[in-house]
Amino acid sequence: MNVAQLADQLRKDSMFMKDVTRWEVIPARRARTAPFPACMDGRLKPALESRGIHELYIHQVRSLEATDRGEDVTVVTPTASGKTMCYNLPVLSAILKDEDARALYIFPTKALSADQVSELYDMIEEIGVDIKTYTYDGDTPAAARKAVRQAGHIVVTNPDMLHSGILPHHTKWVKLFENLKYIVIDEIHTYRGVFGSNLANVLRRLLRLCDFYGSHPQFILCSATIANPKELAETLIGRPVTLVDENGAPMGERHFVFYNPPVVNRQLGIRKGAIPITRTISGMLLKNGIQSITFARSRLTVEVLTRYLKDLVRDPLGNAGRVRGYRGGYLPGERREIERGLRSGKVDAVVSTNALELGIDIGALDACVMCGYPGTIASAWQQAGRAGRRQGTSIVFFIASSAAIDQYIVNHPDYFLHKSPENALLNPDNLYILMSHFKCAAFELPFEEGDRFGNAPGTEELLEYLDEEGILHHTEGKYHWSAEDFPASEISLRSAASENFIIIDITDPAHHRVVGEMDRFTAPMLLHENAIYMHEGRQFQVEKLDFDACKAFIRSVDVGYYTDADLNISLSLLDVEKEEPFARTAKAALGEIKVTALVTMFKKIRFDTHETLGFGHVRLPETDMHTTAMWWTLPDALADKMAGDRLKNGMMGIANLLRIVCPLYLMCAPQDVAVVYQVRSPITNKPTILIYDNCPGGIGLAQKAFSMRDLLLEKALQVAEDCGCEYGCPSCVGPVGEIGEDGKRTAMRLLKELAG
Amino acid sequence: MNLKDKIRAVGGSSGTRKDPPAETSTDCRHFAVYRPAEEFPGALELTAETLRMMSDREIPDGLDPRRILYLDTETTGLGGSGTVAFLVGMGWLTDQGFEVHQFLMRDYPEEPFLLKHVAAGLEKFDVLCTFNGTTFDVPLLESRFLMNRMDRERLLALPHLDLLHMCRRLWKLRLGRCNLGHLEEVILGKPRVDDLPGSEVPQRYFTYLKTKQMSLLDDILKHNAQDIASLCVLLNHMADLYLHPEKIRFSEDVYSMGRALERINRTENARHCYRLARRGRMGDSAGAALAMSYRRGGEREQAAEVWRDMIRDRRGGIVPYVELAKYEEHVRRDIPAALELTEKALLLISEPTLREGKTVQESKNELQYRRQRLIRKLKER
Repeated sequence: MNVAQLADQLRKDSMFMKDVTRWEVIPARRARTAPFPACMDGRLKPALESRGIHELYIHQVRSLEATDRGEDVTVVTPTASGKTMCYNLPVLSAILKDEDARALYIFPTKALSADQVSELYDMIEEIGVDIKTYTYDGDTPAAARKAVRQAGHIVVTNPDMLHSGILPHHTKWVKLFENLKYIVIDEIHTYRGVFGSNLANVLRRLLRLCDFYGSHPQFILCSATIANPKELAETLIGRPVTLVDENGAPMGERHFVFYNPPVVNRQLGIRKGAIPITRTISGMLLKNGIQSITFARSRLTVEVLTRYLKDLVRDPLGNAGRVRGYRGGYLPGERREIERGLRSGKVDAVVSTNALELGIDIGALDACVMCGYPGTIASAWQQAGRAGRRQGTSIVFFIASSAAIDQYIVNHPDYFLHKSPENALLNPDNLYILMSHFKCAAFELPFEEGDRFGNAPGTEELLEYLDEEGILHHTEGKYHWSAEDFPASEISLRSAASENFIIIDITDPAHHRVVGEMDRFTAPMLLHENAIYMHEGRQFQVEKLDFDACKAFIRSVDVGYYTDADLNISLSLLDVEKEEPFARTAKAALGEIKVTALVTMFKKIRFDTHETLGFGHVRLPETDMHTTAMWWTLPDALADKMAGDRLKNGMMGIANLLRIVCPLYLMCAPQDVAVVYQVRSPITNKPTILIYDNCPGGIGLAQKAFSMRDLLLEKALQVAEDCGCEYGCPSCVGPVGEIGEDGKRTAMRLLKELAG
Repeated sequence: MNLKDKIRAVGGSSGTRKDPPAETSTDCRHFAVYRPAEEFPGALELTAETLRMMSDREIPDGLDPRRILYLDTETTGLGGSGTVAFLVGMGWLTDQGFEVHQFLMRDYPEEPFLLKHVAAGLEKFDVLCTFNGTTFDVPLLESRFLMNRMDRERLLALPHLDLLHMCRRLWKLRLGRCNLGHLEEVILGKPRVDDLPGSEVPQRYFTYLKTKQMSLLDDILKHNAQDIASLCVLLNHMADLYLHPEKIRFSEDVYSMGRALERINRTENARHCYRLARRGRMGDSAGAALAMSYRRGGEREQAAEVWRDMIRDRRGGIVPYVELAKYEEHVRRDIPAALELTEKALLLISEPTLREGKTVQESKNELQYRRQRLIRKLKER
């Protein structure tokens, strides 16, 4: 059976269809093409034609033309629409015209760079010219580095390497910096939050050096579909960009099936698990010879599902090899082999974490099964985009888990299908991040009085501060680096706080090994002494946490419980930035707060039954975090009307609803944003609900929440209204046992009141 | 809260301080140190020919030893564009002795002046001599020239003798580590007293920048001048050894010199060293190296002679037997002799062998294989 036949059959199956909340068919789309533009170097033509390309898609032509006009370009393209041409063609044209010209390619991960470089090699070979393309990352052998620095026309790297390996040693890269014509950044939608805020500052440093060397590179950026590609790109590079978002690539018909597993226990709101359903659907695809990819959220689920599917086709001929698992932690060689297997058709089914979500080339598949919502709409579209050939029908199944966010999506498919309201946010001016990179910049090239650092605010104040601290030395109008440190080594681009905790496995006394890192704000929660720390499915117990040295020592154990620390959070106000009256008597405000976290005790909880087995004390210092927050203050009058626990229960219900809605509309991971309610807040002295950025300095989530505060309340109310439960369940305001019998009603009443 | 307070809250504050006001300067500070000629025995006799035994760099013909520039830098860190050479010392021989000229930037604005002195210095000399300059001093100065938009050509074009590499080739086998202080103590027999550890240099300078107390830099200046003088002494000491390898007391060092000479195709000199080393602790390796050198040169009979000597002196374990067996089999085509040697090797196998990385069993298997082949060849006749 092919996909179209399978779709027909399923639609006639009433048992299946009763749990389908929406079956959306996206019609096929024709290719829209245009002739090769004049700005493309003629020598590229035969190379393209030999691959059967006689015209370009319109988005490719548009981006080539915009680049030729000297504009910075952002191309928004779905998977498999030939986006690499949007940057390879202008870059190759430029180098063909001037062999001194240089380009820098930045990919978020090493795997992606390897993939794109091989494509570029093919193209260069076909043109038959000597254009040197090199990857420069942690894997580049020391002996090869000199050649890369001197001779590489196209240097492919990642943000981390650019930050710590290239910029601080820019004098070794004179050729590159003097002749840099294009900076290509692919997958820019991955640069949101802390990572993006860091990259934006790395780019400020890069452009500052280009200025010193007298080059003026242009940017070519590529993004998957998000709501604000232009805004994201402009914040990232600090200059205006031309947006190219008409997709000219053809696409076959696509079916989108939203499946909500049936309720098993209505009282407790428990549904049948997503994993067994996924097993059935992926199994059905496999048996029908339909090539598919199944996405699961955890590495463990990937392993479990892979085994199920392998069992289904296991035979003496080794057919189990047609099913493969794919996740971080697999060796690069094995990953490449799986990718090749998918492209060649040797592999029929792959089960993956989001590791395959990014633009690694695995060709287009027939079907995609999502076991649970990946967390953001953009990810979901990226995953869905893995299915969908240029011709022929494809199908995507979304299987909801019982998590609140999954339930929201499966019950509001329009949210997912229509114009995405998601924004990728970053905040290059986060003071923690800005200051770290400012130091790097000062190390790389002395600041002069009146200099700016990109469009960052407060250059003067930062310079004064660093001079006062003796890190810079101010003399005759210049600020010179005057510290022994190598500032780039103090920053990890993928987290905000500079000092991370290192996790060291001491199970083998003769061979201690570092197994991971954790930021200092999470460490007290998960790495306190006697905590059970899980890593790749294995259990470890924390033997010792050296708080000052930022090291945790763990030892392998096998116990039947996990631990959960009690975190006491207290908030204090630093500064109110904006305050606005709201809904007659309420107030909404935006400002900066200090979050003080203290872990005092932890619980041991048995697996499966989740019963508490015991307690332990934790003795750790408090950790402070300055961050941005927005909050709603409820009027006293409203509070006075509610006796006893009613107000508290209602506010708890609203906080739970906001925890569902915020990640969706702020486009962030659930742990990036914290929602807290306080019946008598020390900040406002009134009942208050707060949303704050859960990272030092904030990445703009609180600002965004403030700007869309009415929408957030409206959506929170909608979740409560649409939920089938009577008194509350984990998918909306929280279970009755937590919020009381009247919790849901009170929460809804308060929300209506606030919505005016 | 204003921005400045926020910055302090985020970055932490150690209290404000203020530098003493800087005066505009028109040059950097210059120090000169003169050392008597007696401290540099034989230095004026050093020739290009001797240097060519010691290094594969292009040494100009008829080099005047007074035109070798000895250079060492003191820096604010370990590298990267933010590291500055705040003190550059340059030394050279004169007819009267040895002069060291040190250029110190008293503050960052003096860096261009300092670099100009360095550039002028480079112009006047034909060869550059440093200790670890290939990876440290030269790239650092290159970076500083670049940052100050100055020409780097001369720095990169000057033939460069990096004593670290030259010393490692000679002494690493015996000494393990080859830092300058250690070499001065062990090789030159002059341990340093009250020397400032290199790791404390940057902080000293930063403190000086804040206080402008010149006395803070006394140790650094002394240390730098001593380093530079030591470069010259060390180079000439090495030159003497290369000219008279028979003076070398350690078998490891003579053997190492042989390897170093062979590396730059000084075959005859290398063989001389190997011969000298054959009597000492490195005798086995030296013998093997000598024989291999003959073999590579096509002098098979001389190589065989060495192997025979080794067998006679019971040196080198099974290696001379195996090598001689190869010679008998392939060159002299004397199969019975080859077989006899192979069988002797098999008897000897339990004795320590020179062949690294092979287990006794592997060697045994190889010998057995050789033996079988030789027997087969004998039968085929």
